[in-house]
Amino acid sequence: MSAVRIDARRGAQGVATVSWLRRLLLSEYLVLLLTIVFVLVMLPVAPELASLETWRDIIGAMMPLLIVATGQAFVLIVAGIDLSATSNLAISSVLAAAVMTLDGGPLAAAPAWLAIAAGILVFVAVGSGLGALNGACVTRLSMPPFIVTLTTMMFFSGLAIWITTLLTDDGSSIGNLPQGFAFLGQGRIAGLPFSLLIALAVCVVAHVVLSRTLFGRWLFAIGINPRAAEVSGVPVRRAVFFAYVICGLCAGMAAILYTARLETGTPVLGQRILLDVVGAAVIGGVSLFGGKGKVLWVVFGALFLTVVDKGLSLLGLSLASMFAIKGGAILAAAVIDAQRQRLLRA
Amino acid sequence: MSADPHRLRLLLLQNAPLLLFLVLLGTFALLSERFLTPGNFVNIMAQAAHIAIIAIGMTFVLLVAGIDLSVGANMYASCIVVALYMKGMHPLAGFAVAGGLGLLFGAVNAFLVVVLRVPAFIATLATLFIGRAWALYLSGVKMVPFGKELLLLGRSSWLGVPVAIWIFLLVFAIAWTVLNQTTFGRQVYAVGADPEAAKKAGIAVPRVLFAVYCICGLCAGIGGLVSATQVAAAASTFGFQKEFPVIAAAVLGGTSLFGGRGGVVGTVFGAVLIQTVENGLVMTNADPYVYPLIISAIIFIAVLVDSQRTGMLERLERRKIRPEPG
Repeated sequence: MSAVRIDARRGAQGVATVSWLRRLLLSEYLVLLLTIVFVLVMLPVAPELASLETWRDIIGAMMPLLIVATGQAFVLIVAGIDLSATSNLAISSVLAAAVMTLDGGPLAAAPAWLAIAAGILVFVAVGSGLGALNGACVTRLSMPPFIVTLTTMMFFSGLAIWITTLLTDDGSSIGNLPQGFAFLGQGRIAGLPFSLLIALAVCVVAHVVLSRTLFGRWLFAIGINPRAAEVSGVPVRRAVFFAYVICGLCAGMAAILYTARLETGTPVLGQRILLDVVGAAVIGGVSLFGGKGKVLWVVFGALFLTVVDKGLSLLGLSLASMFAIKGGAILAAAVIDAQRQRLLRA
Repeated sequence: MSADPHRLRLLLLQNAPLLLFLVLLGTFALLSERFLTPGNFVNIMAQAAHIAIIAIGMTFVLLVAGIDLSVGANMYASCIVVALYMKGMHPLAGFAVAGGLGLLFGAVNAFLVVVLRVPAFIATLATLFIGRAWALYLSGVKMVPFGKELLLLGRSSWLGVPVAIWIFLLVFAIAWTVLNQTTFGRQVYAVGADPEAAKKAGIAVPRVLFAVYCICGLCAGIGGLVSATQVAAAASTFGFQKEFPVIAAAVLGGTSLFGGRGGVVGTVFGAVLIQTVENGLVMTNADPYVYPLIISAIIFIAVLVDSQRTGMLERLERRKIRPEPG
């Protein structure tokens, strides 16, 4: 109401600018637009950005991130957060590689398909197990999500490093994985990268779950108003718990792609993408305050971050300045999110 | 009547950190003879000083139910300037600059959280990365040694007590007085307990919120320089992940993450507890890769205790309220 009154006082010109700005701020495609603008601006300085090779790289880097960020969206929609996704990548990568490795792994003598199957099972089990731990702490013990996942992040990344030092001589990574495993990260089917197909499948399933199922409705209801949801008969605790499990499961699946791409299990996997994971979702427009999000937005956010990342590294910028720019982008997205909330409330 | 077992459990929860401390003291004393000596105690206090100072600032933020994850980056960003440009100057000037820059860093956080209304943990997570990147840019990702006069200060002591501990005591005394003896202190507690009620009572809530983030930044700058007097050089990992022990110190000391409850005395106890653990692990020759596991497990326990206590207090308080009509 008050916004309308202010607009009226500003006169016709004011109304036009404000509503234009407002529509841009509230648009779903703002981030996609920004990505295109970024590419166009960068083209004169970094012409490589137009080559097919570069875009193949971008797709390769984006797919695992997209999977983690899609999982993160489930948690953000119930107004939670999972900062432990990066340590989840690390611990599942290390444990699964330990199972699969041909250097004295338990399945070194078994056929390759068995080792790979066991490895994938470990990825999925560790990922969703860690998610379940986070979910149990948040729902059963009513601990604040960000501090729970902050401590589990610290604990499990420490654990991943410790396990690696115990299992290997140099303590850096676990290599010599079965031949066929690398296919998951690098192989192609009908010219399309396998990772793209997996990510596409995850996104479609996530989209259907969020927009077409009762469970998806529950998550949005909880995010908008948990008390109202509870009063209306939504099993709030169970739904939130499963949101965290899904988030962990997605991290485990992304770890498969990351590990397959590097062909080693390493505890530093994903250390640098903590900001990217939350950032991809938030930049796309998934609200930190809960109740608002779409898989498509996460795709836009992940695309934006990966393209910016690639563009900046083509310019030869240092890691430090990339951190600064990414931190700035996420901050800007969070500011826009906060302003949107204010606009919607006005 | 029925509240009695609750009260007993609450008493246990309230004193859980103290029990944990005693258990740890006992364990380490059994494992190492050198652990329980007066010299080692002074050592622990001197090592805990910078954590305690920063955690005192963090206490202010936690009291209003906020959080500042950027204190480690703030330490590095403030102290790298002193290391790079303040060589040969009086240590007091160094403290003024580091404190001032820390305050500025805190003011940026405050602006984001209070004026732009970005959730505190995401705003400070972003400034963590930006601040660290800025410091890395300034230092060229190289190790930068601190000036001689800072190191001399770090090595000197007065009345047999290292200077770091004196600085800590000074910060502690000021913070305690501000929190317990001034109007501002009362306002901090009031805002943390119930921001709506505080607003209705005529407290300028945004101004209080702004101030606490500035105080936290100031403490991070000063605490960073205290740490600088002890470590000789700012490596690129200076202050890295310091937010963990700092938040843990405050929460272990009984300051609630949900706001409104706690104080600086407990925080100091928490900082000493954490440093005792680290010292004990060193004394008992534990595998260094295990440190983060143990520290994060302790933080986890502290947060768990805090959330259980908060839930229990809410239940206890609810009983006293008469049922609403209708």
